[in-house]
This record gives sequence, C-alpha cells and structure tokens, in this order.
Amino acid sequence: MESFWLVTLAILAGAVRGGTPFLFVSLGECLTEKSGKINLGQEGSLLAGAMTAYAVSHHSGSPWYGVLAAMGTGMALGLLFAWLAQLPRTNDIAVGIALMLFGSGIAFFFGKPYIQPSAPLLPGIPLGAWSSSSQIQAALRICPLFFLGLLTAFFLAWFLRSTRWGLQIRAAGDQPSAARALGISLKSVRTWAAMAGSGLAAVGGSYLSLYYPGAWTEAISGGQGLMAVALVIFARWDPKMCLVASLLFGGAQSVGPALQAAGIQTGYYLWNASPYVLTLIVMIITCSTKKSLAGAPGALATGE
Amino acid sequence: MTLIPPENLERFTQAPASLELYRITKKFGDFTAADEISLTVPPGTVHALLGENGAGKSTLVKCVMGFHPATSGEIMVGGHVQEIQHPSDARKYGIGMVYQHFTLVPSMTVTENLVLSRPDVPAAVNWKQETARLEEFMATEAPFKVPLHKRASELAAGEKQKTEILKQLYLKSRILILDEPTSVLTPAEATEVLALLRQMTVAGKLSIIIITHKFREVFSFADDVTVLRRGKLAGQGKVKELDRDTLAAMMMGGASEAKRAPSAPPATGPKPTAPASTRRTALRVKQLSVLGDNGITAVKDVSFELAAGEVLGIAGVAGNGQRELMEVLGGQRPAASGTLEAHDQPYRGTRRDILTHQFHTLPEEPLRNACAPMLSVAENIALRTFDQPPQARWKWLLNFRAIRKSALPLIEAYSIKTRGPDTPIRDLSGGNVQRAILARELSTRPIKILVVSEPCFGLDFAATDFVHQKITEARDRGVAVLVVSSDLDELLKITDRLLVMSGGTITYETPTATADVAVIGSHMAGHG
Amino acid sequence: MAELSATSSGQPGSPGLAAPTPGPRLKRAWGPAFEAILVPLGAILLALVLFGLFCKAQGQDPFKVYASIYKASFGSWFAFQNTLMRTAPLMLTALCTALPARLGMIVIGNEGALVMGGIGAVIAGLAVPAWPPHLALGLMALSGMIWGGLWISLSAGLRQYRGVNETISSLLLNYISIAILNHLVNGPMKDPSSLNKPSSFPIAEEIMLGRITFGDFTMRVHWGLGYGLVACVILWFLMQRTTFGYQARFIGANPKAARLGGLPVNRTTLITCFLAGGCAGVAGMVEVAAVHGRANESLAAGFGYAGILVAFVARFHPLAIVPVSLLLGGILASSGILQRAHKLPDSTSLVFQGLVFLVILFSDSLYGRFKIFKP
Repeated sequence: MESFWLVTLAILAGAVRGGTPFLFVSLGECLTEKSGKINLGQEGSLLAGAMTAYAVSHHSGSPWYGVLAAMGTGMALGLLFAWLAQLPRTNDIAVGIALMLFGSGIAFFFGKPYIQPSAPLLPGIPLGAWSSSSQIQAALRICPLFFLGLLTAFFLAWFLRSTRWGLQIRAAGDQPSAARALGISLKSVRTWAAMAGSGLAAVGGSYLSLYYPGAWTEAISGGQGLMAVALVIFARWDPKMCLVASLLFGGAQSVGPALQAAGIQTGYYLWNASPYVLTLIVMIITCSTKKSLAGAPGALATGE
Repeated sequence: MTLIPPENLERFTQAPASLELYRITKKFGDFTAADEISLTVPPGTVHALLGENGAGKSTLVKCVMGFHPATSGEIMVGGHVQEIQHPSDARKYGIGMVYQHFTLVPSMTVTENLVLSRPDVPAAVNWKQETARLEEFMATEAPFKVPLHKRASELAAGEKQKTEILKQLYLKSRILILDEPTSVLTPAEATEVLALLRQMTVAGKLSIIIITHKFREVFSFADDVTVLRRGKLAGQGKVKELDRDTLAAMMMGGASEAKRAPSAPPATGPKPTAPASTRRTALRVKQLSVLGDNGITAVKDVSFELAAGEVLGIAGVAGNGQRELMEVLGGQRPAASGTLEAHDQPYRGTRRDILTHQFHTLPEEPLRNACAPMLSVAENIALRTFDQPPQARWKWLLNFRAIRKSALPLIEAYSIKTRGPDTPIRDLSGGNVQRAILARELSTRPIKILVVSEPCFGLDFAATDFVHQKITEARDRGVAVLVVSSDLDELLKITDRLLVMSGGTITYETPTATADVAVIGSHMAGHG
Repeated sequence: MAELSATSSGQPGSPGLAAPTPGPRLKRAWGPAFEAILVPLGAILLALVLFGLFCKAQGQDPFKVYASIYKASFGSWFAFQNTLMRTAPLMLTALCTALPARLGMIVIGNEGALVMGGIGAVIAGLAVPAWPPHLALGLMALSGMIWGGLWISLSAGLRQYRGVNETISSLLLNYISIAILNHLVNGPMKDPSSLNKPSSFPIAEEIMLGRITFGDFTMRVHWGLGYGLVACVILWFLMQRTTFGYQARFIGANPKAARLGGLPVNRTTLITCFLAGGCAGVAGMVEVAAVHGRANESLAAGFGYAGILVAFVARFHPLAIVPVSLLLGGILASSGILQRAHKLPDSTSLVFQGLVFLVILFSDSLYGRFKIFKP
C-alpha cells in the first residue's frame, strides 16, 4: 500500500518536474502554429537552448542569465525558421527537420566543452518544507520556471483572445487571404510568432540543463521538442489545455523511473516509450480523415 | 467613436467623396493588365465596372485599394490626388472593398472580425466595451442585422456578405468597391442587398463601384458604366443612354461581332424529342447523404435519375452541397449513406467501375481537383487511359511515346495553348487547364455518363460556347450528362431538365423548357 | 491573379501549340535539366563555403579541413572503401524518405525502420543458424524488409485511415523502436556474455554477409553496397516507368485528382511505404549481417537521420541518391580525422549536415529564378 502511494506521489511530482519543458515547448509551438506554420525544429531550439543556458550559467555564475541567453538563441533559430519557411516553394515541415538537425549539431558542437564542468543551477522553491518526510519535501520542491510557465499559459490565452497582436496572429493562421485584405503583413506576424515560439522552446531547454536533470549532456532531450507538435493537437491549440497536456505527458514520462524506484523492474525499457506511445494514441484518437480538427488554424499544412 | 484617426479625414466622414482614376496603367512584367484607364465616380452614385473574366477589372480596383500600386496614373479622392501604396492608405481615404471571396476569419466571431478590421485596434481589447459599442451600432446605424456572437464559419453565405458590407459601414467607408457581390447570394438576397446599398447612395451616404458581369445588375443598380476588355477601356457612359446590345458589343469587341451576345438564343443543337422516361437510366442516385469537411451533413437524402441522352442541370447558390455531391460522384469523398447505381448496377467509383460504365467527371477548379499540377500535360491527359494498351504494355509497363502521341491531337483539337505535351500542366493558364481536362474527360475514351461542375468558370464567351457545344454534342451521341452550375443562365441554355439544390437537398424539379426563373429563384433561396 | 491567368487563356481557332520561344535548341531541351543539377550543386558549394567560415571561426584553416575531409574520404583506396561502407546503408535509408516523398509524404522514420529491420534480421538469423548461407541471408533480408516495411506502413496506415500526420508518427516510431530494441537486448534476447553493451545473441559466423570479391581480389566493402545499388535502380524503374509509378506520382501530385481517376490511393500509399520501410529494414539487416553480427544499440548510429538528408539533397530521385550517398558517406567517414587532426568534435559532421540541409531547402526557392535556365 505504501509503495502505491509512493508511486503515485512520484508520478505527480514527476508530472510537474517532467512536464515543465513540455509546457514551454508546447506553448511555443502553439503560438507558432496559431500563425499558420508548423515548426518541427523546436527540438533543435530546445537543445540549443539547453546548451546555451548551461554554458552561460557556467561562465556568468547566474542561472537566470542562462535562461535569458537560451531565449536569445531560440529566437535566433526561430528567425532562421521563419525566413526559410516563408520562401517560395519551401515547406515548413522540411525546414523544421533541417533545423532539428542543425540546432542539435550546433548544440553538440559548442556544448562539447561543457559536458564535464558544473554550472550553478536554478534553485527549487521548497513548498514541502512543512513536512518531515523527505519524499514529500523532494516532491514539492518546484522550479520557479514552472510557475513562469503557468503564468505564460494564462497570459498567452489572454494575449491571443484580447490583444491586437493576438488577433492578428490568429487571422494570419486561420485565413491568410483575409489577413492580407486587412493589411496585416503575414511575413512579420509569422516571423514574430516563430521567434517567440522558438524562444519559449529554448527556455524549456534551459529547464532541462539548469534544473532537471540539471546537467548538459547530448542525450538531455527525449524528443520533447517533437512531441510538442502532438501535444498542441491534443490541446486543440488552446494554451490552457497545453498546460493540462504537458502535465499528463510529464506524468507519463515519469512512470518508468517511478516504478523502478519502487523496485518494479519489469518492462523498464518499454515504459521509457510511454510518452511516445501516449502521443501516438492521442493523435490516433483526435485525428480524423473525415473532417478537419476543431480549433485547428485553417492555414496549417496548406503551404499558404 | 473615432474610427478614422488621421487629421484631414473629417470631410470624408461627412459625405461621400468622388473618386477619379486618371490613366491608370498596371503592368506585370511584360504583360499589361490595365492600360491607361480613366473613370469618374461622382459622389452618391453607383458606377458599374463590366467585363469578361480577365478583362482587368480586379487589377484596376486592386490598384485603387493599394494591393499593388499602379505602374502609372493618378487616383483622385474628393478632387485631390492621393498616393495609395498600401491597403491602409485606401482605408485612410475612406475607400473600402467587399471581396468576392470573404475576408472574414472563420474561427473568429463577428464581433472579433469587426474589431480586427479597424485601423486602430487597441493594443489590448476591452471586449465588454467593444461589444456594447457594436450593439449600439447595430441598433442605430446598421441597415441590416447579423448575429454578433456567432463565429464567421457558422454564418450562411448571405450573412457573410452582409457582414462584409456592415464591416465597411462600421469602418465609415464612404467609397465602396464591390467585387461581384451577388455571386454567392440567392436572387432574392442579391436584390435585397443591392437595394439597401442603392438606398444608401441615394441618401448621399456612399459612392459605389460594383464589379459585375451581370447586365441585370448594371441596368437595375448603376448610374454609370465602364466596360473593360483585355485590359483596355472598351466603352463608358451613362447606363440610361445604353442598351444591352451596345454593352455586349463593347465587352466582346469588334472581332467577335459575329458571335452570340449573352442574351441571344442558345447556339445548341436540336433538343431530343423523346421524353426522358422512355430512355434508359444511366445514373441513379438513391437517398444519398454526405458529410462536409466540418463533419456536418452537407447533402441530405438526395435522389435523382439521369437518363442516357439527356442533360440534367443542378441549380443552386454555391455552397449548398453541390461540391460535396460532385465529390461523391467523382469518387473523391465517401458517402455517409445512400447508394449510386450506374446502368442499374452498384457504382463505387473504383477504376474498374469507371472503365466499365464509362463514367467521367469534370469537377470545378480543375487545377485543384482534377490535375496533377507537377505532371506534364500529356501525363494528365493520360489519367483515363494510362493502364490500357497501347499506353501500357502488359498492364504494368508505361509507354511514354504512346502517351505523348495520343495527347498531341487533343492539344490541337481543343486549342490548348502549351509549349508542348511535356510542359507541366501548372504552367498553363486557367482556361487552358480547363480545356486540357475537358479533352481528357470528353475525348480520351468513349463515355456514357458525364458529370461536370461549373464547366465554364473563368472562360471567355467564345470558349464558353465551345464547351456548351461539346456538351450538347455528347448529349446527342446518347451520353447522359449532369451539369452542376451556379450560373442559372448557363443551365437554362444547355439543359433539358433542372433540379434545384438548397440546404443540401433537392427542393424542386422542372423541365427546362417550361422553367420559371422566379420559381427557381425562390427554391434556390430555400423558400417555396 | 486568377483573373490574370484567364486573360492569356487561348482563343478558339488560334493554333494549339504556341510558337516555340526563340533560343538555342539545346537550351530549350536541357535548360530544366541543367537547372535540376546545377542548383543543388551550387547549394552544396555554398554549404561548403559556410562550413569553411564556421571552421575559420573555430580557429581552423578551412582549406586544411577540406583537404583532411578529402583525404579521409576519397584520398586513397583504403579511405574510399571506408566511404563505400557508409554509402550502403545511406542509400537504403534515403529510399525510405524518397519513395513516400513521391506520394507527397514526409516520412522520417528511417532510423526506426532500420532498427526494426535489424531486429527482424537477427531473429531470422538466430532461427536458421544451420541453413545454407545464401538461403539464410535471403531469409534475413526478407525478414528485415518485412519488419521495416510494416513499421513504415503503420505510419502510412495511420495517415490514410486516421489522418495522423506521417512525419510526426514516423518520428515517434523511431523512439518506440529504440525502446523495443533496448527491451529485447536487455531482456528476452539478451546474451549474458555481453556486459558492457547489452546485445542479442550473435548470429552464426557462416551466415554473415560477405565482402565483395572480384576473382582473387577481395574488398573490405561488403555486399550491402550491391543491395543498395540494386534497390535504387529497381525503385527508380518502378516509380518512373511503370503504371504503379504513374499512379504513385499522380497521387503525390494531387490525391484528390487521383481519386477522380479511380486510382487506388490507399493501396498505392501502403505499398509504397512498405517498400520504403523495407529498404530501411534491409539497411538494418546489412548492418547486422555484415557489420555487428548481433543487435544492439549500435544499430541506431544515425544512418537513418543522415538518410533523410540524402533524400532531400537528391530531390527524392532514386538514382540521384547514389552519388549523394557517396558524398555524405565520405563526410561521415572523415569525422574521425577531424577529431584527431583538427580537434573538432565528432558533432562537426552534424553541423555540416544541418548546414547542407538548410542550404538545400533555401535553394528550392531558387528554381525558376534564373532566366538562363528558362526553356
């Protein structure tokens, strides 16, 4: 019985701990897709962000500078994406794949010297200090970036609903011809959306290297950047639903390690695949050939 | 409400301004789309811009709207020369446009759409306040009502068109450009909307330019008319002083004088005398229901029969299920329920069924629905025959020489303008793509059933005649022909029998010979 | 714009074939072909220049780096054989992206299909250790092909019947396949003697894929190269010269129009994706039967991802895949020397691949921009 509660607690804590990078990447992807382009290169931004954050934190001594620097790197990659994906006869999916390769190449290349040295990490907020149980204390130690992500989710929902820029992004993503008729510049709207989206993904990367797992390695990302695309479909392009989906996926990711910690070894390697299988199942359930998805921006995958 | 911020605009908001175009020229590369065109719209009048597709009407008004600045020439608003380089400039001078294709964002509500259209959308929108303002606008100024809280995607075509017009009034536009505004409306809706706008011009609130190719609208609605032909000014004058024949001659030019004017009697062959009931049923549609892209039923319980040697027309305002019906007939969309029978056998649209029943389909917008754009003209023409000898050996090996060889005579016969059979079909102009696909569907194999949709969209008069003649010839050979079109005049001209489709169902049937346009119109509108 | 294009539409009675544009005949016939070759070549040159600048920024002399790459990839018979060994799996995995691309799909599940093919091959190889080598190899190749083929067909089926984006699903399947591999080599198939690197039991020495021999002369390169070449040629013929290929190309250009012609869209898509996955599966079989002799995580060595790049650079043309694989094989072969001689990390080749990919996509936007190629 006790092990059941331990596993549950570990999964819940894991949902927050593992879900935070998902949250940032999926919010970024949500913003990008709302403007009408799919960015598969979020994986590259995530890795480059993780590397930059760690390196800057190592040199400057402040993890927060690391987070800011990661954001800058992500925005630069987002700019590259927006430029290439809006050239005539290019395809945003292909550009995303190329950026995935390029971003990870850059991250591994410049990150090589930072695999060994240690850098100051982000502090956790000890919300479980009241408890004497070390397990509860560990579970309730939460990274400030999670709260930042929480705020971002609600801010983004408001931003898309009630601001000029938000409305323009939605118009560009849903009906480009209408946006053009309104005098909205698709190019600049999409460029800003892609840059901000890629910047958010990179912040998600900085969480990986500066909080959990809290070191820079080449295997730091388990494809969170890619799964974000599926998460956004699952969340029906709603930032608040992105929050729910991210926690769900974070939880799924921590099932394997939680079981192992509780002494259950069977199928450990298969449990590692659970976020991917879950993503696939979610896509199978939500997608349909018969109708377009409710909430999907109209211009997605139309090449327009 | 200060919707139009710039300084010197007060006078535009008081009364409609005049609009003058002086020798506007627009070139795209070597091609001159509009050539030194001048026209004047005095305040409070309606000016019709008439011309065939491709005559340069849209090009001209896009210059006025700042979508592509004119290569040369001047635009005067209220007697002052104004530089219009960008849509926002046009808006600044109180010029607004209602497009043929809607410019509403489907996923947004009417309120959101209206607010977004303002030139001064606040950085952060206070929805409570905006909604209150809009409700007041609807209650006091708006000539007609639209539901503010509905998403644009949930509106019917007529409501969308009204919303577009309301948007311009909400923006205090004083010069309105309407691009074929009635093409998506039922005859009754069209009359209603045009009458309201007419009232507003008479009351001195608006000046209007209306792009159209319908003579009826010119005569009942406009004060002045300008006719364009192939980018050049073909004629101009007061509507009162002109008659249909003069306008038609202007539109078609001296070279086509021998050709039929639009009001002239149809140039089709003799209609078959045998009543449809005695001839064999070629196609039977039984209680067909189809879901649209959004998962909502678009075609409901449609049944009809099509006999060999007959042309059956389906009339209706675009967007009432015709596209979905066509896609089921062409095998491009599954039916939700109901069956198709060809020659009394079940028909599923597989390749074998198509070959057995010689059932060919020509959908609307062929480049999008019937072509492989990157493949060559010859390969596109081979779609019906590529797996038959001599184009295929042993059923699997392609013979490219035979494919090219069989394309050449068709390119000649259908006057398809292409560099050669190996040119990718997407490099052809719209009219030539239409001809290539027409050649494929009519002439590559013998046919018994032919289904066509909007066969003449984007074609000029002469090409339209050519298509109508081909359809009539096929009918006279004993082919069963179904024509779906939103152009009622076309259907009245070439069909033997007419069905009216509205709201996804067949609401009315009549022999064409005794058809009453008013009755058909009211059924198109869903009344009657 | 629609109105514009209609303007130039033909007038009846005018001659069908437009007068040929003036200009040398050679240019008219070959302009587009030159363009199709010169634009990607230019792109690769541009990528090389950018890479040189990158090396320069790292304090390396770019020309020395180029020289090292050349020496380590094509500079000697020994180096060239190293390159060829990497070319074989690249050709096969590139086909996994190139074939579905003809159908308008972007499949990037190459790595996963390769892994599954490797697992399939090992299972077959372990089942028939005593069979005659040719039969056993045939069975292993078949098994690899079926496993890899079904893996990509899964993506294709999800797309056709459930509308799931094939790019994302195939990518997810990569991760899932690696989890399955890890599960198998740590569990049911684990060879207890493989401690450092958990692996499956090895297949029998006798049924390993041999080296290419000409008479007395034996290369270090294994027959996997032959598999790759044959696959490229056969699949080129299939896509370009048969009714099946016509169907596939028509579907790729416009599935809606293909349905109008009654073409079997779902069947053609599934078969094409099966063949594509099958190729990657055979790559896995080659890696198992010619290189590793067993299944372990070395299977997921990145040939799948590099294959995506090859397919894009070759513009999805099965024959163009051959030279492009050779080039990329050379670059992969030279990553060791970059590390040793220039102190550049092994991820340098990843940076280079990313650069090539970006520049190639950029070059796609250049088609039709150069007047000189206009027929």
